[in-house]
Amino acid sequence: MLPRLSVALAGFFVSAAAAHAAGDIEWRYRAANGAVSLAANPLTPAQRIAFYLARGFSATAIRPYADACGFSFSMQNGGAGTLSTRLADWRAIGMDSRAVRLRLPAEWDLQWDKAQVPEAARIAFRWAQFQTENTFEAGDWIMGMATLESPLQGGFRLIARYQDDKGQHEVTLNQLFCAGD
Amino acid sequence: MKSLLTNFSAPVTERRGFLRTAAGLALLAASPAIRAQGRGMSPVAGVPPAPTLALPDMDGKSIDLARYRGKVVLVNFWATWCPPCRKEFPSLGRVRKLFKPADFEVLAVNVGEDAETAFSFAGSPDFPVLFDRNSQAMEAWLVKGLPTTLVVDRQGRLALRAVGGREFDDPAIVAQLRELLKQGNT
Repeated sequence: MLPRLSVALAGFFVSAAAAHAAGDIEWRYRAANGAVSLAANPLTPAQRIAFYLARGFSATAIRPYADACGFSFSMQNGGAGTLSTRLADWRAIGMDSRAVRLRLPAEWDLQWDKAQVPEAARIAFRWAQFQTENTFEAGDWIMGMATLESPLQGGFRLIARYQDDKGQHEVTLNQLFCAGD
Repeated sequence: MKSLLTNFSAPVTERRGFLRTAAGLALLAASPAIRAQGRGMSPVAGVPPAPTLALPDMDGKSIDLARYRGKVVLVNFWATWCPPCRKEFPSLGRVRKLFKPADFEVLAVNVGEDAETAFSFAGSPDFPVLFDRNSQAMEAWLVKGLPTTLVVDRQGRLALRAVGGREFDDPAIVAQLRELLKQGNT
């Protein structure tokens, strides 16, 4: 009886956490590893251009970002421990097994500096990205955008690595497509 | 079998104080299962002093966190373009109403936007909305993403943190805030 109850409770906590992470947003791609859940939505160039034009970017400046294969991610720690992520450790793996990293927010920021993007727009950009390093306490969840360093043709999987006190783990989103593919 | 606590040799009143503090800390942490559901807030390790915070409000008047010393203050970092920030924002007003103004305050720190943009979303809430235009306060408070919320205790220390949206009038968070308010009174 007790083991069955605890399994049911564990299931409830995971599903409640996943529902919370979803917020009011419909996520196209979802995956979980135990109590850690990851969700993603592909973002079209038009969506990103509209968002960043409203934050002070010019259409010319934001074009390279809008044209890159980009997603909005939501990750939640539905467990009791602490975990951390480094975006530099995440990889997209194409059907031809080619591995592509995600472009870090600081790399985009260098480009904004050269393009003389206004400071307020750069601040909005910085905080709208999935951060380079994150720490998730129990129940914490983080949303943010990210782009692939280079495009992948067709479907690919995204391996999101995270660290906890037991070592390194990963959660994999399968069959992702860039918006417009 | 004698427990660790019955072996404790301090006077009875001190022992009671110890037990009350221990129980309070346990309450403050909220249960891991509750926190894992994204309902509670996490205790801040070491309870460090809160960084300074002095920013203009919607009218351009500077508001300094130091003026709230002695109160429990919930500091919420947000932006209008952040979906979970928008979702949780109404709960800031609701939780503020649950406590006496002499004991508790909410400060909503908008990051990178102007008063007009914030007003178009938030209107004129009952609590101060401050403007961190260059995100320097956010960096000083070691905030890594939006929304992030920290609770400062009556002694001006960082006691609780939550990253990602919450409903701040959730009973789990209200219990944590009540415990912080009680601790300051003992």
